[in-house]
Amino acid sequence: MALVEDNSGPWRVGVLFSQTGVTSAIERTQLNATLLAIEEINASGGVLGRSVEPVMYDPASDPKKFRSFAERLFQVDKIKLLFACYMSSTRKAVLPVAEAHRGLLFYPTLYEGFEYSRHCIYTGAAPNQNSLQLARFLLSAYGNRFLFVGSNYIYPYESNRVMGDFVSQGKGKVLDEIYVPLYPEPQDFERVISRIKKTSPDVIFSTVVGSGTAELYGAYRAAGFDPTRMPIASLTTSEAEVAEMGNEAAEGHITAAPFFETLSSPAARRFVSSFKEKYGANAPVTAGAEASYFQLHLAMRAVAKCGTDDPEQVLANLRDAEFDAPQGRVRIDPENNHTYLWPRIARLDRNGRFQAVWNPGVRVKPDPYCVVQSLDDWSVDELPLLHS
Amino acid sequence: MAIQILRDLRGLRVHVVHPPDAERTKLVEHLRRIGCMVETQWPVPDCWADGADIVLLAIEHDVRQEIQRLLKSDDRHRPTLIAVVSYEDPSTLQLVLEAGAVAVIERPIRPFGVLTNITIARSLWLERRDAEKRVRKLERKLAGIQRIQKAKVILMDGQGLNEAEAYESIRRQAMSKRLSMDDMAAAIIHANELLQYRVKGD
Repeated sequence: MALVEDNSGPWRVGVLFSQTGVTSAIERTQLNATLLAIEEINASGGVLGRSVEPVMYDPASDPKKFRSFAERLFQVDKIKLLFACYMSSTRKAVLPVAEAHRGLLFYPTLYEGFEYSRHCIYTGAAPNQNSLQLARFLLSAYGNRFLFVGSNYIYPYESNRVMGDFVSQGKGKVLDEIYVPLYPEPQDFERVISRIKKTSPDVIFSTVVGSGTAELYGAYRAAGFDPTRMPIASLTTSEAEVAEMGNEAAEGHITAAPFFETLSSPAARRFVSSFKEKYGANAPVTAGAEASYFQLHLAMRAVAKCGTDDPEQVLANLRDAEFDAPQGRVRIDPENNHTYLWPRIARLDRNGRFQAVWNPGVRVKPDPYCVVQSLDDWSVDELPLLHS
Repeated sequence: MAIQILRDLRGLRVHVVHPPDAERTKLVEHLRRIGCMVETQWPVPDCWADGADIVLLAIEHDVRQEIQRLLKSDDRHRPTLIAVVSYEDPSTLQLVLEAGAVAVIERPIRPFGVLTNITIARSLWLERRDAEKRVRKLERKLAGIQRIQKAKVILMDGQGLNEAEAYESIRRQAMSKRLSMDDMAAAIIHANELLQYRVKGD
């Protein structure tokens, strides 16, 4: 029981997404979606008569700043629920702070798995909710000679390990594995392009994140490769990165994610139109934004149910909580604090919009500690063959 | 090697020898989350349970004697041992070392680190077991070489043969009697001892 609680003022929640720095394009969509959800809640009367108030700072894509702002939020601003983070390095910086203050972190981004904390709810895809599906699609539609290119930090290394395992299950070959700095220079991509020319892969699997994404796709386009024969396939390239790279560079490439701006369900359309109404017709609506949106709603619904933002009680209320998210009905898995999600795959058309090429309408249970997945695990019908 | 150990985690049988408290509950939950098959035990058993691949043993000072009895129980077939410790003082450390722990989990127990420690512990234990096997094999081989050498010397002295002839003699006899060279050498040494025997006294 709290000793002294202000029962009249707003519910203050912490929000930490980068508005500047290397991953600001995608994180700004997550920030915007969080604020949209808050606005919607407040417009319909708030939570138990009190409005929701975001307390936010700009950690500028820097894990150290994420850590210090998280400390400030918990210690000085006295928030208890924190909605934050894109890159795993920033989550790693923030999580111990949430744990130390017995707070609750809501993390709305795909990541490499193998993590659990009582003080974190993971609403982005774990590797068994995107990598497996993407691997099956690529192996059946394009071929089994892969080239890996990624940013130099934890997430790409683990993603490449997982994808590499699928490639060998598919009797294929990883022709090369290249890592570029998080803040890349043009010559980093020149090296990648020359390796692509030399090795001639069927697929380029990219785990480049942030502003480097546009540079990679731009370099690919300038080199004149054909995306119908040798696409760049990614788990991270979203509408935000597409906006940075332009339609020409984007066309033909592939992304696996639970949500795309072009999804046609009523819930998805409602979300996208509310988002664009608030932020402009050109505002990109990403999978990270969708997760940020539904996680805020889920959290505040739990607060409404238990009448407090005390993390222990909110957590208890979130067990098995289901929510009609834009991607579909999602559910928190109490075994591991991750979320049942709806994997999909889409290809960018000439207008820079994602068109779904695989959308089976199946929800997948998260399995963050799954070391090795079998290509045969997935019990969905055969994937449609891609005609180029 | 690392990936294979991680793959084998699903189905690894872990025994948690730890007082029944909230920490044990959380630890067991997390071990199951990782994919291990978990059983708990308290108080400290007399001997290592059959069918445990890994044992997480709480090093508690008030059950020091029971722990020492457990450690004495079977030296040859110990499972991989991970110690769970609350203190770092020398007497605790001594117990940890005596237990032969190959990894350590500190209290308060957090989920983060458990997977890494299990992997390292398993890897070290497998390496050690392989090394022990190799050492035993090498020791046997060395003893065999020494026996053959001794038998050669006996034949060289007793029959005036050179080394090559002595070796050949042992080899031929072994073949004709369908014995291994090592057994033949042992027989020669044994026979020699019998023949050398002189009754004392007189």
